[in-house]
Amino acid sequence: MAATASEPAGDFTRRDFMKACAAASAVSVVGLVRRATAEAPKKGGTLRVGFYIEAATMDPHLSGSKVDRQIYHNIFEPLVTLDVKLGIKPGLAESWRQPDSKTLVFKLRRGVKFHDGTDFNAEAARFNFDRMKTEPKSVRKGEVASIDSVDVLDSYAIKLNLKRPDAALLATLTDRAGMMISPKVVQERGAELGRNARGAGTGPFEFVEWIKDDHLLIKRNESYWNKEGGPYLDRIRYRPIPDDTVKLQSLQAGEIDVIDYVQPRDVAAVKADRNVAVVDVPSLADFAYQLNHTRPPFNNKALRQALAHSLDLEQIVKGVWLNVGRPANGPIPPTSWAYDKSIAPIKRDLAKARAKLAEGGQSGGFTFTMTTNNLPINIQEAEVIQAQVREASITMKIKLVDAATLLSDGNSRNFDMISYQWSGRPDPDGNTYQFFRTTPGTSLNWSGISNPQIDSLLDRTREVSSQAERKKLYGELTRLLQDELPMVFIVHPVEPKAFSPRVQGYEPIPDGMMRFKDVWLR
Amino acid sequence: MGRLVLHRLAATVPVLLLVTAGVFALLHLTPGDPIDAMMAESVDAEAKASLRKELGLDRPIHEQYAAWMRRLLRGDLGRSIRNGEPVIENVSRRIRPSLELALLAMAVSLLIAFPVGIVSAARRNTAVDRAGTSFALFGICMPNFLLALLLIFLFGVTLRWLPISGYTDPVEEPLNGLRSLLLPAVTLGLALAAVITRTLRSSMLEALGEDYVRTARAKGLSEWRVIRGHVLKNALIPVVTVLGLQLGTLIGGAVITEYVFALPGVGRLVVEAVFARDYPLVQGVILLIALGFILSNLLVDLLYGWIDPRIRYR
Repeated sequence: MAATASEPAGDFTRRDFMKACAAASAVSVVGLVRRATAEAPKKGGTLRVGFYIEAATMDPHLSGSKVDRQIYHNIFEPLVTLDVKLGIKPGLAESWRQPDSKTLVFKLRRGVKFHDGTDFNAEAARFNFDRMKTEPKSVRKGEVASIDSVDVLDSYAIKLNLKRPDAALLATLTDRAGMMISPKVVQERGAELGRNARGAGTGPFEFVEWIKDDHLLIKRNESYWNKEGGPYLDRIRYRPIPDDTVKLQSLQAGEIDVIDYVQPRDVAAVKADRNVAVVDVPSLADFAYQLNHTRPPFNNKALRQALAHSLDLEQIVKGVWLNVGRPANGPIPPTSWAYDKSIAPIKRDLAKARAKLAEGGQSGGFTFTMTTNNLPINIQEAEVIQAQVREASITMKIKLVDAATLLSDGNSRNFDMISYQWSGRPDPDGNTYQFFRTTPGTSLNWSGISNPQIDSLLDRTREVSSQAERKKLYGELTRLLQDELPMVFIVHPVEPKAFSPRVQGYEPIPDGMMRFKDVWLR
Repeated sequence: MGRLVLHRLAATVPVLLLVTAGVFALLHLTPGDPIDAMMAESVDAEAKASLRKELGLDRPIHEQYAAWMRRLLRGDLGRSIRNGEPVIENVSRRIRPSLELALLAMAVSLLIAFPVGIVSAARRNTAVDRAGTSFALFGICMPNFLLALLLIFLFGVTLRWLPISGYTDPVEEPLNGLRSLLLPAVTLGLALAAVITRTLRSSMLEALGEDYVRTARAKGLSEWRVIRGHVLKNALIPVVTVLGLQLGTLIGGAVITEYVFALPGVGRLVVEAVFARDYPLVQGVILLIALGFILSNLLVDLLYGWIDPRIRYR
C-alpha cells in the first residue's frame, strides 16, 4: 500500500511492528484477508459478539467506558476517522483545513441523515459541540476544552475557534468527541438516550434494543450514505460474557462469532485452533507504573533510576506477556507516527542500579510498596518485578486492590508505585500531556511530576502543526521521561481479537475498536 | 402460628437495620469512590464535584445514611449511580434468573441427594455406602468454578449438547430456558447434594437406631416401608434446616456460578455494584438478600411443625 500523505518518510518502525504482528498470526490473518478477496461479500446474517462487560450508556457524550466505544463506532460516526495506519481520513466531514493554528474549518458531507430521518448539517454539528461543552454530566468537556466556540459558516460548513493551538484535536475528533448525535433525539429523549439510542446516529448500523444484562441489538442502516462496500450484516448482537475462558469456549463452540480480546495466556492455543482466526491488533496502549514524586522514596531521582535499571523488560514481556506485546521505551506506542525507534527501552544494569542506590544515599537498598490490580496477569507481573528488584537489594511489597481503590489511591497520591494501564489515544498527546504536564488539582498526573522542561515540550507539541517536527519533540520528551521517570514504562501490549472463520472483511485499526461496516459472514 | 409469623417478622426489623447500617459503613470506609470509578478517564474535577453534590455524596456519612433511611421508609430504594435507573428495577430484572437457578439447583440436589443418602444409610458400610461417601466428598471438595469449566468443556464444547453461557427466559422459551440453566444448576446442585447426602445419611442412621424402628421391623414391615414411613420423616428436620440456609445463600451468593455462565443474577449484580462503588445499589440488593434469608428461614421453621407435629409454636 502506498504511504499516505500523513505518514512521514522513513518511518519504518510502525511498519516493522505491523509486519511482525502480521507474521505472528500469519495463518489466521491471511485466511481472513485472502478469503475476503477471493469471494464477493455476501449480505445477511447476524454477527454475535462477546464482550467482557456490558455497555454503560448509549450516550457518547456521557460515556467513560471503553466497551461503549466498541458499539458506538457502528451506530454513530465521528467527523473524521482513522485508517489502519492511524492516518486521519474523512468521516462525516468531507474535508477540513486549518487557515491558522487557532482555527479549524470542516466541510460537512451532504445527504447524510440521522437514523430518525433528520438531516445531519452544520447546525446539528454545532449542537453537538455545545452539548459536549455545557451538559453538566458531559465526560467530553476535557477533550473539547480547547474549542472556544463553533460558528456555522453555511448549512454544510462549521468553523471551530480554538482558545489555543491544539495539534491533537483532529485525532481527538476521531472518537466520541467527534461523534454526532441527532439533536432531535437528544432534545426529545433526554436522559433516556443513555438506554435507548434509537434514531440517534448516522452510522452503518441502527440501534434496535438493549435488554439490560442480556444483549444489545443493532441492525443494518438500509439508507446508509456511503454506498461503497457494506454494511452487509443484517444484525449485530452484543453479549456480555465476563469470564475470559468461557468467552473463548463460546467462540470455539460456535455460540458467538467474535471476541474483543484474547488473554496472552490463551493466544498460542487459540492460534493452533483451526476453528478460530486470530488477528493481532497492535494497540495504542501504554502499560506502566507511576512513581510518586511527592514523597519518599521516589521523590529521589537516583532511587527512581535505580529501580528502572533493576528491571528487565524483555523478561517481563516474554515471561508475563508471552510476547503478546513489546517492551516500552516510553508512553508512545510503536503504532504511532511519533514513536522514535532509535530510543531503546531502559536496559537492565544491576551495577548501574547499585551505583544509583549509592548516589541516592541508600546503598544498602530501600523498601517500597507497589499498588496494582488484583488480576492474574498484574499479580504475575508484580511478582516478577519483585524478584528482579530484589537482585538490586530493593525490597518491594505488593498491595493488591480493585479498580476503584486503585483510582482513589492514585488520585489522592496514596502510593509509592502504582499500576497504570492506559488504553491509549490515536494522537501521542493523549498518551502524554495529561500524565506529565504540571497540573493543579485532580489529573492523571498521579506521579506529581512538575518539570518546566517537560511542560514546555508538551506545550510546544500542541502548538506545532508539522508532524515531523512534533515527532522530534516527542522523541526529546521520551528521552527526558526516561531520565526523570514519572513512570517506569513496561509494555505496549498487542490486543488479539478472535473470530469464527465465517467472519470476513475485518480491518484491524490500532485503536482496537471493532468497526463492522465491511464485515460479512460466509 | 400466626403469632409466630408476626413475631418473626417484627424481629426482622432490627436485623435489617443492623445489616444496612453495617453495609453502609463498610462500603463508605472502603477506599474508592463511585464518581471516580464511573468517570475514570475524565480529569474534569469540576464535573466530578458537581455530580458528587447532585448525588449527595459530599455530605457526611451519617446524613447520607439518614437520607437513605428516609427514602426507604417511603418505599424508595433510590437510584443506581452507575446507570441512573431505580434500584428496584435493577434488582427485579436480576431476581428471576437467580430464583430460577436456585430452585433448579435445589431440585437437582434433591434428586441426587435423596437416593444416594437413603441407600448409603440403609446399606451402611457397604460398597454402595462408600461410593456415596466418595461422591459427597467429591462434591464438597470440587471448587465451583472448576466444576463449571469442566461441565462447559464436556457438554458445551465437546458434545455441544448444552449452551455454554447466557440466559434464556424459561417462561418465554421453556425448553431453551431450561437448557440455559441446566449446567449452572448442576454446578451448584452437586455441591449442595453432597452436603444434603451427608446430613441425610447421618440423621437417618440416628433414626435407624431408635426403638420405634425396631418395633416397626418387629411388626414385619418391609425395610422400604420402615424407611419411608418411619425413618425418613424423622430424619428430615436437619435436612430441611440445611436446605433453608442454602436457599438463602443460593439466591444471593451464587456469584461465581453466575459469573462463569454469564447469568444475569443478583450475585453478579452485587459484585459489579461493589466494584463500581454503586452505594445505593449495593445497599438495596443486600437489604433484599437479607430479607430473602430471613423469609426462607421462617419458612423452614414453619415446615418443622408440619414435618414433626410434636413441634408446636406458642
